[in-house]
Amino acid sequence: MKILIIEDELQIAQSIKDYFKPNGVHCETAATYKEAVSKIGMYDYDCILLDLMLPDGDGFDILKELKKENKTEGVIIISAKENLETRIEGFNLGADDYLTKPFHLSELLVRMQALIRRKNFKGSNTVTFNEIIIDVFGKSVTVNGEKLDITKKEIDLLLFLIGNENKVLSKAAIAEHLSGDMADMLDNHDFVYAHIKNLKKKLTKAGSEDYIQTIYGLGYKWQNE
Amino acid sequence: MNKKLLHKTTRSFLILAVIILVMSAPVFYFVSHWLYIYEADEVLAFHKEDFLKESKKDFTKADIAAWNKYNRNVRITEDIGITNDSIFSKEYFDSTSKENEPFRELWAPITINGKKYTYIERSNLVVMEAMVISIAVMFLAVIAFLMIGIIWLSKRSAAKLWAPFYDTLHQVKDFEIDKNNQPEFVPTDIVEFDTLNKSIGRLIEKNTIIYKSQREFIENAAHELQTPLALFQNKIDALIQLPDITEEQSVVLDSLNKDVSRMNRLNKNLLLLSKIDNSQTFERQTIVINDYIKKHLGFFAEQAKAKHLEIVTEFMEVLQIQSNPGLAEILLNNLFLNAIRHNNDHGKIIITVADKSVTFLNSGSATALSGEKLFNRFAKINPSGKGNGLGLAIVKKIAEINNWKITYSFEANLHAFTVKFPEMQEYT
Repeated sequence: MKILIIEDELQIAQSIKDYFKPNGVHCETAATYKEAVSKIGMYDYDCILLDLMLPDGDGFDILKELKKENKTEGVIIISAKENLETRIEGFNLGADDYLTKPFHLSELLVRMQALIRRKNFKGSNTVTFNEIIIDVFGKSVTVNGEKLDITKKEIDLLLFLIGNENKVLSKAAIAEHLSGDMADMLDNHDFVYAHIKNLKKKLTKAGSEDYIQTIYGLGYKWQNE
Repeated sequence: MNKKLLHKTTRSFLILAVIILVMSAPVFYFVSHWLYIYEADEVLAFHKEDFLKESKKDFTKADIAAWNKYNRNVRITEDIGITNDSIFSKEYFDSTSKENEPFRELWAPITINGKKYTYIERSNLVVMEAMVISIAVMFLAVIAFLMIGIIWLSKRSAAKLWAPFYDTLHQVKDFEIDKNNQPEFVPTDIVEFDTLNKSIGRLIEKNTIIYKSQREFIENAAHELQTPLALFQNKIDALIQLPDITEEQSVVLDSLNKDVSRMNRLNKNLLLLSKIDNSQTFERQTIVINDYIKKHLGFFAEQAKAKHLEIVTEFMEVLQIQSNPGLAEILLNNLFLNAIRHNNDHGKIIITVADKSVTFLNSGSATALSGEKLFNRFAKINPSGKGNGLGLAIVKKIAEINNWKITYSFEANLHAFTVKFPEMQEYT
């Protein structure tokens, strides 16, 4: 998987790169509008992460450029701008998702995976991890072919964990992911524990391996033993 | 009591006018009185001279008796022993009008045919009295009319003269720095007022710019913080991936994680507050409060689980309001979160929708909170609270721009926050 990070803040680009690399995502970076346009012209990417404020241009112009060249890359806007107008303008110009800074890298990773899945959608949209198969559209999970009785939230959690395979996920990151737009209203992260516990129980009961590790004091990790 | 400027200037005018009137009336009376008497005396002296020259030439004793018989005002009497002319005032009883009437009387020694006589002539002053009075009245009336006219004119011209000043005063009074109503002064050709208007205009302009840049500063500062916060967040995310993290280190990392979340939230709230401050208008639509509460009930119920809170909703009516949906949602969510955050273990939350208002009741501290400070920014009542002190400030701000009334009360050991919506109205 190859993506392009268009971001003038080099440290942010670098930390995304470092975080994504072990999960099989190859990242290229562009710090300026010019660089970004030339890279888009030369290569095809699975996904583009786009910062709107660039030193020599506007991120929206890159969206226009993509449209002009009939490029079909999925675009996630990562911006410090948090208002409805820029969001709507971004979507109108062809962006697929919008993530406001600051964000958790784990969140960015699963959003990107979801976007690529949607883009490559060929009749079905499933995520497979060993004996576990998740039907993202049908909202169902099977373990060894057996369907689980599972809530939407637990599927969401499962996708988040699998998407961040081998990463330690802080309770805050999980809580904010599960809360979506309501993340700002979080009072505590204790509810994460209950969801993890339930998911773990349902999976192991159905005969799945126990992939969820508890990392003391920090959070949880999905690991293939 | 403060008086109007115009009132003060006309008042001094009036006082002067009254003083002049009061003083001039007797002076005028006496002067005209004296003048009349002087004239009467002249006439008496003239009559006497005339008599001496013309009448007495061939006067016999019998003539004198006849003269005295037919002349009412001039009498020739035996010499009464005066040597010089003398004129004086005297009153005589008048048989026709049956009252005493003032007279001027001349006594003069004269000689007719070598014999000494006294010439007595009197002049009735009744006519003079009436004339002096009518002249005085006329004069006073003219002066009074003149005064009134002057006062009226000066008052009118002063009102016109000061009109730009009052206009400026009015506009300055109505000016509010956080509203977008710049005063527009009426042009004036009076130098002082023009300078005043220009000075006020400059003052307002300068302060508005400072005020705006202050407000924008908060938004900009919060914005600029987003990138370092993102970096901070990302680095912690990366840091916890490192192998061999000790228990001690993980405690620190976990706490760092919480701190950065808290900073994020604080920053977002600051951004939101300044955004509400800096925006002129928000798009409105009809929304149903009940639906908005139901929508997030599950989320908050989950948040409330840690404290084992009981949440009850009492919807007595379907409450429809006109508002920006995003802001209405933020207001309700903040109130809900507030009710959870400041609650006790095994406490209670009651959400009521009735009488065009929504109320969040929650158990919590056993005493009422200070109502005034409660909605101020960073007014933390509970020092150990997790809130950032902006939640209720945001609630208040949203209520303010929508003209909703937010009140706090404490009854039956429950803290109540009520938002009262106005009757459904058409917004333009």
